[in-house]
Amino acid sequence: MPRYAMVIDLDKCNGCYNCFLACRDEHYGNDYPPYSAAQPLRGHFWLRVIEKERGQYPRVKVAYIPKLCMHCDNPPCQQAAVDGAVYKRPDGIVIIDPEKSLEQRQIVDACPHRVIFWNEEKKIPQKCTFCAHLLDKGWQEPRCVEACPTGALVFGDADDPGSKVSKVLHSARAEELRPEYGLKSRVKYIGLPRLFIAGTVIFGDTDECAGGVTVVLRGEGVELSTKTNNFGDFEFEGLAPGSYEVLMQHTQYQSRSINVIVKTDLYLGENVLERMA
Amino acid sequence: MADSETRVVRTTVWSPGPGCHGGCGAKLYVKDGRLVKVEGDEDHPFNQGRACPRLLALTQYVYHPERLLYPMKRVGARGEGKWERITWDEALDTIEKKLKDIRDEYGPESVLFCQGTGRDIGGPISFLAYSYGSPNWVQLGLAGQSCYTPRLAAMSVTFGDFAVLDAGQFFVERYESKEWQPPKCIIIWAQNPMSGCPDAFQGHWIVECMKRGSELIVIDPRWTWFASRSKYFLQIRPGTDGALALGMINVIINEGLYDKEFVEQWTYGFDALKERVKEFTPERVSAITWVPADLIIAAARFYASSKPAAIHWGLPVDQCPEGTTVAQAITHLWCLTGNLDVPGGNVIARASHNVTTYPFDSHQLLSLYGEELVKKLSEKRIGAQRYGMVRNFRGWAQPDMAIEQILTGDPYPIKAAWIQTTNILGGQAADLRKHYEALKKLDFIVAADTFMNPTIMALADIVLPVATFAEKESFRSWWAPLSVVVPAVKVGECRSDWEINLELARRFNPEGIPWKTVKELINERLKPSGKTFDELAAQGSWEMPPEGHPSRPYRRYEKGLLRPDGKPGFRTPTGKVEFYSKTLEEWGLDPLPYYEEPPESEVRTPELFKKYPLIMATGRRSPVYFHAEHRMIPWLREIDPDPIIEINTSTAKEMGIEDGEWVWIENDRGRIKRKARVTPIIHPKVVMVPHGWWLPETEGKEPYLYGIWEYNCNLLIPIGTQGKSGFGGGAYKTTLCRIRKMEKGEV
Repeated sequence: MPRYAMVIDLDKCNGCYNCFLACRDEHYGNDYPPYSAAQPLRGHFWLRVIEKERGQYPRVKVAYIPKLCMHCDNPPCQQAAVDGAVYKRPDGIVIIDPEKSLEQRQIVDACPHRVIFWNEEKKIPQKCTFCAHLLDKGWQEPRCVEACPTGALVFGDADDPGSKVSKVLHSARAEELRPEYGLKSRVKYIGLPRLFIAGTVIFGDTDECAGGVTVVLRGEGVELSTKTNNFGDFEFEGLAPGSYEVLMQHTQYQSRSINVIVKTDLYLGENVLERMA
Repeated sequence: MADSETRVVRTTVWSPGPGCHGGCGAKLYVKDGRLVKVEGDEDHPFNQGRACPRLLALTQYVYHPERLLYPMKRVGARGEGKWERITWDEALDTIEKKLKDIRDEYGPESVLFCQGTGRDIGGPISFLAYSYGSPNWVQLGLAGQSCYTPRLAAMSVTFGDFAVLDAGQFFVERYESKEWQPPKCIIIWAQNPMSGCPDAFQGHWIVECMKRGSELIVIDPRWTWFASRSKYFLQIRPGTDGALALGMINVIINEGLYDKEFVEQWTYGFDALKERVKEFTPERVSAITWVPADLIIAAARFYASSKPAAIHWGLPVDQCPEGTTVAQAITHLWCLTGNLDVPGGNVIARASHNVTTYPFDSHQLLSLYGEELVKKLSEKRIGAQRYGMVRNFRGWAQPDMAIEQILTGDPYPIKAAWIQTTNILGGQAADLRKHYEALKKLDFIVAADTFMNPTIMALADIVLPVATFAEKESFRSWWAPLSVVVPAVKVGECRSDWEINLELARRFNPEGIPWKTVKELINERLKPSGKTFDELAAQGSWEMPPEGHPSRPYRRYEKGLLRPDGKPGFRTPTGKVEFYSKTLEEWGLDPLPYYEEPPESEVRTPELFKKYPLIMATGRRSPVYFHAEHRMIPWLREIDPDPIIEINTSTAKEMGIEDGEWVWIENDRGRIKRKARVTPIIHPKVVMVPHGWWLPETEGKEPYLYGIWEYNCNLLIPIGTQGKSGFGGGAYKTTLCRIRKMEKGEV
């Protein structure tokens, strides 16, 4: 018995939306008993692409985050359901039974990832099934994965050490979206956007980009150090929100220190270092 | 998954349907005569099983309840929305009679044959226009013909051919091909290859190169996904790309980073180019382009020192002022660095197997239609007398002049328009109002399309329903592979563009048209390949050019595969890559690239800039729409639901505009409204306004016309800004505007 998992590599996702459309093509107008009833024409995003644009001019980062049912090992939708309307297959797929879940709107509300959708016409909650009906027929992967043109979506048996998905899963970079929910997701991510602080350093005497300046970041229990590049730019990524000190140092220039409270990604602009007397 | 009752048709995707420039292989699943599902064809080297949202939504398009399914004639006044169903016979008889009457009275040149962007239309429409006898085949509304033609012209005068970034697309094995290697450096110049479907090029091709080590330089006013993953991002002022290219050439020449052997052996005019770029120092270019000088230098060094390196460019190049010369300067970059027709460089792209669907250049025009027609094209074609490049490169009439001529009747009257695959008023027409007013004056207008749209509603007398690619026979040789479009289903009474035009062409020119069916015509065109339509269809719908063929890379200039005389070298007057273009000189144009400031800008029109302090760049692509199409497809619309304007976070804050609020965009030509999308990705001094917006769900009758007067950004864009060559310079990316928050009560 396989144990299915998916890894979404955001470094490869360029936001083409094929996954969403393939899901639409597979599920709109098509019932797949006993796993799913047909998607309605509008309003259901069993796989939604979140566009994440952050930073400030001139330092910006863009990422696309495909988000679908996480097929949690600890699914709150199952806890919220009555009459066994939500169950987990032995292969790990979480299924909302389209018949038993009639009128069970609380199943939609139970999901902190907001990936379950209410079908107003049929009065049932609906979501991604990992295309269980296709896997049962021998498919190796759901339609969204098949349609992904860049290989950002990887799917397979997490218990098979030879499978691509198990290799990526065991790379240090695969992580859960919102691990604080404690849901043990079967869908994991690589390259999730993390808070960054960036800036540019200029030498005051020459008005030129300051390359090779040591920049130290301290705060929230971390101390990080980097050097500016030829354009005088530096960047720290993967930070937690909080208070930080940014210290810019160069042997021939006076050091400069800035204290910031960071809630969102921050570009500190140009910082001038004056030459020592 | 095919079960016993499901038939799978392997075919080639070329508009209509996804609408794009096409080339993908698709598997169409047909059950009981109905299309039920679509997938990319994993055996097709162009896309290797991949698709796009518009292809995946094909069933929604083909069976859309509002699709045009039978011919109609207008029974009320134009714009009243009163239509009556008619038979094909009545439609074709009416068209034949009206157009023949006009031809007899005013001459065939008084009819414009209008198409949209170059897809599976250039063949059928030029064929029809020339069979009727009109030289006026035109992308009406496209100011300065600013879409690919300037780039094609620049490449053609420089090295006698066209070239594209080499992502292995000329080989069956693609990235596994032993002949190919990935570019070490890719410049993405003015494009977002995820969303665009540029010139038959796909975003995932670049991603595949990145996986194999390609590093990016991105040139764009917007932080795209590719920009945020680039080694160098040059956030450029719209319209100044020419200066940037000249600045990069300056660095490459002055630092000795060019390919000396290639330049020595294969090029002409290097010293003249060196002299020309002297004034384009990185500092001066920085002041023009907003790109820091050290970044210009670093990017130029990285590009020139990476072997191989390739440039992938987009339509904004054409829409720079003097677009042709901008494209010329960029072309020089890959020629200077010896990246022409080498693996992983910019590889020469010829029509596969030398099969031509429609004339891309003058060589093809001659071989397709003969000298007599070409002569006629130079005498009567709009713009051919004024512009040497228009006269000598491709068969287009000049669009800005064409619309003026409707209004003035000078030098001869325009009486009718055949409009096929183009929603002029909802799509490409700059100075929308002028196009509306001019076209209203015409005596007779036919429109052939898949859906009702503002252009048909406002103007058409007869409407013809057009088949999607899933319903038609056609063929494609736009680069490689050679492929055929194989019909899978039939919908309503829809006919393909080829079918419609062949029938009418036969009526206009009975002696000249020997083919009875579209398939016969296609087989005639396919002859250089030695294959027939049915043979290609049976082998999966495609074939790559064979080894040693001129349409297959690499280094064809060494092998004598490019010139008609079979000698090594290039198809240019000197036989070399011409930095100093003899051809441009002969056409009365500057033989060397130069820079010109946008028609409206902080530099050229400072007074106007005070009034309108933002640059309105239009036309960023959406992954779910192709230009003015697809707004009626529910699955696509829910991804990109509103006509928006992208405003930088800091700019929006200054103006008190919040994300999701409605704003006015204004200049002296008028105003439109858009929903604010507040984002850091756009430059603070630029707003990005997506084009092609009309709302099919709203009132179509006059005066509403599905909201074009409220939402179409082309209302604010001028015409008549074309370059000295007649090509390029449509101000779609450089027009000044101001924005203002919509007050309560304003609608």
